[in-house]
Amino acid sequence: MKKSNLFSSCKVLVTFFLIAFTLAPILLSSHPWPNEGRDYLFENASNETGASNSVSAIYLGYRAMDTLGETLVLLVSITGTMTILVGLVKKEKSDSPNTFLLTRDKRKSNQLRTHLLEVVSGKLGPIVLLFGFYVMLYGHISPGGGFQGGVILASGIVFLALGNQSEKETKLNNPIVLARIEGFSFLALILASTSGMLMGKGFFGNPLSHISANFIILLNIIIGLKVGTSIASMCIAMMGRSHDD
Amino acid sequence: MMIERTLIFMIFLVGFWAIIANKHIIKKIFGLNIINAAVVLLFILEGSRIGTQAPLLDMQVTNIVDPIPQALMLTAIVISVCVSALALALSVRLFKATGSFDIDVIQERLSHEQ
Amino acid sequence: MNSSNLMFTPIVLPLLGSALILMVKSFSSRKGRIIAEYMGSAIGLLLPLASLFVLYPVVREQGFLQQVVGSWDPSIGIMYRFDGLSFLMILLSQLISIPAWIYSRGRGPKENTFTALFLIQNASIAAISMCSDLFNLFVCLEVMGMTAYVLIASSKKNAAAFASFSYLLFSSTAMVFFLVGTYGLYRITGSLSYAGITTMIPEPNLMSSVCLVLITVSVLLRVAIMPLSFWLVPAHSKAPHAVSAMLSSVLLKIPLFSLVRILSLVSIGSDIGLVVSYAGAFTALFAVLLALSQKDAKQLLAYHSISQIGYITAAWGMALHAGVTSKTGAFLLSVAFFHALYHAMFKALLFLSVGTTTDYANQRNVYILRGANAQLRTSGEKVPITMLCYFVGALSITAIPPFNGFFSKTLLTYALKETMQYTLLTLAGVGTLASFIKLSRIYLPAKPTGQEETKPFPKSIHIALSVLALFCIAGGVFAPQVFNFIKELLASHPEQEQLSFKFFTSSNLLKVLYTSLGGIVLFILAVSKTGTKLLSLLKNLPRSFSDAFFGFAVSIAILVYVLL
Repeated sequence: MKKSNLFSSCKVLVTFFLIAFTLAPILLSSHPWPNEGRDYLFENASNETGASNSVSAIYLGYRAMDTLGETLVLLVSITGTMTILVGLVKKEKSDSPNTFLLTRDKRKSNQLRTHLLEVVSGKLGPIVLLFGFYVMLYGHISPGGGFQGGVILASGIVFLALGNQSEKETKLNNPIVLARIEGFSFLALILASTSGMLMGKGFFGNPLSHISANFIILLNIIIGLKVGTSIASMCIAMMGRSHDD
Repeated sequence: MMIERTLIFMIFLVGFWAIIANKHIIKKIFGLNIINAAVVLLFILEGSRIGTQAPLLDMQVTNIVDPIPQALMLTAIVISVCVSALALALSVRLFKATGSFDIDVIQERLSHEQ
Repeated sequence: MNSSNLMFTPIVLPLLGSALILMVKSFSSRKGRIIAEYMGSAIGLLLPLASLFVLYPVVREQGFLQQVVGSWDPSIGIMYRFDGLSFLMILLSQLISIPAWIYSRGRGPKENTFTALFLIQNASIAAISMCSDLFNLFVCLEVMGMTAYVLIASSKKNAAAFASFSYLLFSSTAMVFFLVGTYGLYRITGSLSYAGITTMIPEPNLMSSVCLVLITVSVLLRVAIMPLSFWLVPAHSKAPHAVSAMLSSVLLKIPLFSLVRILSLVSIGSDIGLVVSYAGAFTALFAVLLALSQKDAKQLLAYHSISQIGYITAAWGMALHAGVTSKTGAFLLSVAFFHALYHAMFKALLFLSVGTTTDYANQRNVYILRGANAQLRTSGEKVPITMLCYFVGALSITAIPPFNGFFSKTLLTYALKETMQYTLLTLAGVGTLASFIKLSRIYLPAKPTGQEETKPFPKSIHIALSVLALFCIAGGVFAPQVFNFIKELLASHPEQEQLSFKFFTSSNLLKVLYTSLGGIVLFILAVSKTGTKLLSLLKNLPRSFSDAFFGFAVSIAILVYVLL
């Protein structure tokens, strides 16, 4: 046993040093950073895409295919995580007195948790939602955009779900409604990306470029809704409520 | 200049060490997060060397930083978060199935289950 | 819609299908969902074949179609290029996805998100085949990998969760190294597209070579040549059968051929190709020996996947070494793809048929399981289609004429004549035959143990298996025509001569005879006392998780050392 331990720790050390020596010339290099990209974008980003935030202009305009791939990674990952977690949560007992499946007056508080959480987060929920929409819609002018706004939307929905204090709850906590918005926005994203093709501008081209250059706002809204609702439905599934088939 | 790159290199090596040497699954996943964070920092830090102002083109900016690494890293951050989420869900499932977080113990218990 | 817009349809159509499925899933009842699934998969799996059909004449006459996504300036946008290689890769993935999906209707994962994820995987495969941009390759490889992790973990077994976890960890770490390589190349050249990178590397210096090595090894990890193949056996053997078929047949080959685009444009690509080719030949032999020692049927097939991908990589490496635009290089690349296509067909057939058999017989151990056909008959199968299709697949992989494996393996070993790879690959052929004799023993007659089942055997299994078996037979009968088709799409000089290689010469047939005799001898040796002892030594080689990264580091080190 000791010999195999020595052997495996030797292998680990050899791996570590090989990788360190191989990566050192790349990570520590001081080659001058190229500025062709920066110069091109400085001249043209605002005119061609209508966004003055040049980072948004890149990832929703010039390199929109990367954003499509990123949205797909998010979709697949959330689907997989939800399938795994819902299978596990169902197996647990869902009749403990602290579970989120019950409303506030039926839940017992104990010394580990009080009702402070629900009171505060319930009141903050709509404000966070508003902030999320702001970040999403202003993503082409100031730092922000679809992904950032979407994640804030998701946390707003989680606040509302945590702060739910009565039997009536907002439709946004209903996993079915969230799944419908998510399905719609994914379909809308695919249709928006192909609409450029029909207008002769190529895949992901701006179909309305003669009216305005602001295709980015539409893409921001769609991506924000998609990301927000999918992350929110995963969090709500972790709280015990899931979209029962 | 060099000191920042060296520090990022060390963060990278720390994360890599966690992935290869540590036996606890959750620490391996955190090692993956650390490596991703190191690469993100590297891209953005080095891209900011050629300018001094944020890449928002409305005010009278003259010398913006390179916006391309920032856009690439937005994508990379989202992908790394998604991978970590899936990995953590899988580790919860493995824990419920075998009762341990140590990767050698898990491998042994699962092979005995067959 | 002109043809350069049509080139994006293999990406858009599967995504459209999966979006439809996901939307209908949240709205309507069970019946609506089933209709939506069939419609979505028709859009996503059948319509791309139609668009490939329309694009074929365009690719033949123009050579390639190139477009920047969104029609922006090429220096800043993402370039997509559809040429003969993309056509073949998308054709390969569609030809295997359709039977795999049909199989899954009968026996496969019954989750309602399976089809949507399957279609997203197809879309990502189409995107990888066409992209000419380094960061976009990273994103599309991550999409493909993510769908693979989730599909593997959809099996209810706990070992599948571990297989998915180790594949995930290993592959995501490799992708971080890919990002470091991209960082280095962007720093030197200021561009992320292949054309931009290769025009701006002045001459091979240390940093650009190391970056290219990092990118190559990270992508080759998904191709699973040794020493990078620790993740493959658990992942392919524990996944659901339709997913295993897709993984072994398609997902191992697409990253390999996507590397051709970048490595053929840089000068160190030929050195990398030579080293990888030797690694491939060693993999072919070593994996077959490991396969001989396995007792689980699907693990045996998984080791054979590694071995066959070693064959393909050996030819691919030599193609890069000779230069893909030269005559020998184009020939070798066509041979590599020829074997990749035929391997995809018979490996999918083997996984699906062996999977069905072990499911209905409730036993995966090849030493214990006997009389599988009788088990299948008591489970409701009237005509022994599963056993027949298994034998078609087994005869194909062991290269017996007139099935398709004979043609592709003979051509491949001929193309690599007089090199060390030739001997290694021939020996591997002997080993393949021995281990398939071992696997086929499960069909030896024995008494069935179960009750007579009155449930009807799912028709979709029979349809899927028959389609794949038909592909194998047709591939064998029409082999010269198929090879010429491939060669014309991959060569840059379309007026090259037709294949003058004769398949049915006496020397080839004698070789088949010798290989078969050698295989039988090896099998007898392997089941003898000393043979079993030696093989169990091999099987129980301790293999811990950190060995995977050791192999990764060693392969990077070897390549860097060779290039300097």
